[in-house]
Amino acid sequence: MLAISNLHVAIEDKPVLRGLDLNTGAGEVHAIMGPNGSGKSTLAHVLAGREGYQVTKGEVLFEGADLLVLEPEQRAHKGIFLGMQYPVELPGVNNMIFMRESVNAVRRARGEPALDAVTFLRRVREQAGLLELDETLLKRNVNAGFSGGEKKRNEILQMAMLEPKLAILDETDSGLDIDALRVIAGGVNALRSPQRSILLITHYQRLLEYIQPDYVHVLLEGRIVRSGDWQLALQLEEKGYGWITGEAAA
Amino acid sequence: MIMLEHQRNWAQQLVAASAAELSAVQPDCVSAARAAALQALTTLPLLDRKQEAWRYTRIDSLLEHHFLPAAAAPAVPASVLNGCLLPAFDAWRLVFANGRFMPWMSDLHDLPAGVQLCSLREALTTNPEQLSKWFGQALQHDGHVFTALNTALVNDGVYLNIENGVELERPIEVIYFNQCGAVPLLLQPRNLVILEPAARATLIERFISPDESLYFHNNLSEIVLGAGAALNHHRVLDESRSAYHLGSLNLSQQQHSRYHGTSLAFGGRWTRTEYNTSFRQQGAECLLHGLYTVGDQQLNDIHLDVRHTVPGCTSREQFKGVLYGKGRAVFDGRILVEKQAQRSDASLTNDNLVLSRDAEIDTKPQLEIHADDVRCSHGTTVGQLDPQQLFYLRSRGIDLITAGKMLCQGFAGDILDAIEVPVLRKLADSRLVEILGAATVAAE
Repeated sequence: MLAISNLHVAIEDKPVLRGLDLNTGAGEVHAIMGPNGSGKSTLAHVLAGREGYQVTKGEVLFEGADLLVLEPEQRAHKGIFLGMQYPVELPGVNNMIFMRESVNAVRRARGEPALDAVTFLRRVREQAGLLELDETLLKRNVNAGFSGGEKKRNEILQMAMLEPKLAILDETDSGLDIDALRVIAGGVNALRSPQRSILLITHYQRLLEYIQPDYVHVLLEGRIVRSGDWQLALQLEEKGYGWITGEAAA
Repeated sequence: MIMLEHQRNWAQQLVAASAAELSAVQPDCVSAARAAALQALTTLPLLDRKQEAWRYTRIDSLLEHHFLPAAAAPAVPASVLNGCLLPAFDAWRLVFANGRFMPWMSDLHDLPAGVQLCSLREALTTNPEQLSKWFGQALQHDGHVFTALNTALVNDGVYLNIENGVELERPIEVIYFNQCGAVPLLLQPRNLVILEPAARATLIERFISPDESLYFHNNLSEIVLGAGAALNHHRVLDESRSAYHLGSLNLSQQQHSRYHGTSLAFGGRWTRTEYNTSFRQQGAECLLHGLYTVGDQQLNDIHLDVRHTVPGCTSREQFKGVLYGKGRAVFDGRILVEKQAQRSDASLTNDNLVLSRDAEIDTKPQLEIHADDVRCSHGTTVGQLDPQQLFYLRSRGIDLITAGKMLCQGFAGDILDAIEVPVLRKLADSRLVEILGAATVAAE
């Protein structure tokens, strides 16, 4: 589904990703782990099409087609979703209206009819219920005054509504207490499917206790230096990133 | 100096052009006021850019036009006028087309006892005592050439008097419709709104033009609120893109009265709105909300003069602007708290969203505080659309133009929310969406 080869990315001419390779297939959950500054969030943003990142080398194919030439909204239309580490607040933009606009923009781009108000409302309520998201938050402005946990639930809710092919979750676990983590992990697990690929970007192994990945990759200094199954995450937890850094140096 | 002298000549020409119309008016209870204003036109200090109130607002292009009195106006067909009515809106209504009061388009039936609502011209004959008692009372100072011009040629407008304790359940809507083809019109409605103690009403004013008509709409309102009276006053300015509009709103508020004004300015080439507020007794409250949008060849000027002259009054002024293309806006908000006005509570904000490089905003909040026990604040911002917010929306599949529109609507939302009449809120919202459509496409 996603094929990244030899990807080099710089921010203001400073190289961040330096030859990253990654392939994800449908139905797979990949975890990308790494210390601060290793390029995890850069990878997430480059895939979603955020401005300010210069791709200096390499390519990214999504379902066989060049992803990097597309605008952010076009990537969303193709089925890419980025759950943000710091979801922004949108003052004056109603959460429900925003989500409906989003879902229908994606549906229109795919040639599907827009969801009518009743169907949309039913689906949102259903998903919000699963995520234990307070329904009053749907009527508020997007993320405005939401707690950290509420913002992350709101991200997963959008993911559930958009039903992406590739979901990239950037540090979705950061700042969550254990109950919120359990609920959000439940939401992500409910969306695992043979058609969907999920990329979990995380600092800690903790999230992976709740969402068991098929593959774990270690990102260091802009490259994936080791890949394995979820056992690798356990080893990292035990030995720290220094273990791999030392090995890479040796 | 040549320019300054030109102002006098320009005003005199307008007066001369109206001479025939004026001579037809029988002597009435405002004749003396007319004469005094005519005199003032020759003595008032002229406007120039050295004066703070006119520093960023040029009047040169306005003075280039020779406007003609409303008598020269073409008639507006009924079918056209009908098109500007809001669907299923239950209100008492006065309609002015090219400055002429249209009784057959108006709806003044079944007014409750204690309410006089009619054209000013009618009130001049039916209510001269009440009218002359209040006429000119809410004007705090001599004004300027345009207010004097309005008084000098006063002929028609809206007269509203609500007696003690009467509460109007339906809103009053005043429509000023302007379509004058090749005839550049001078339109000068003069409104007198008197709410006696504990009276309550909602007044809506809509300024509409369906085309690119050129005219100068120089309207002046005097609003007198008795003790405990409350007026919600919504104004939607949707003038033609060639029009000049000056709205002068003059408030006089007694004890515990409440004025809530919302002003939405969308159209017009040159638009200036002046609020002059005067608290006459303690405990009065004045809330002003405003939104303006300006694009190519548009100037919008908001000028506030809020005077806390007595203790214990509250004023809130919140204005927002969306600027695009080569649009220009001026915000000059002055709050004066005099020495004796202890326990005054005043806040003033002006936020601007600038969508293009070529737009320009001059914003100047001024708080002049001479009392020591007060709560006062002010703040202004000028900003652009936030790239992070735009990216967030786009990453959810929403295209750049729609994303920009949604953020602008969000920005303007709390001003529109201040409109307490749902059908008007909806109208304002859809006009804003239309304008933002053009604005965000232009910003591309």
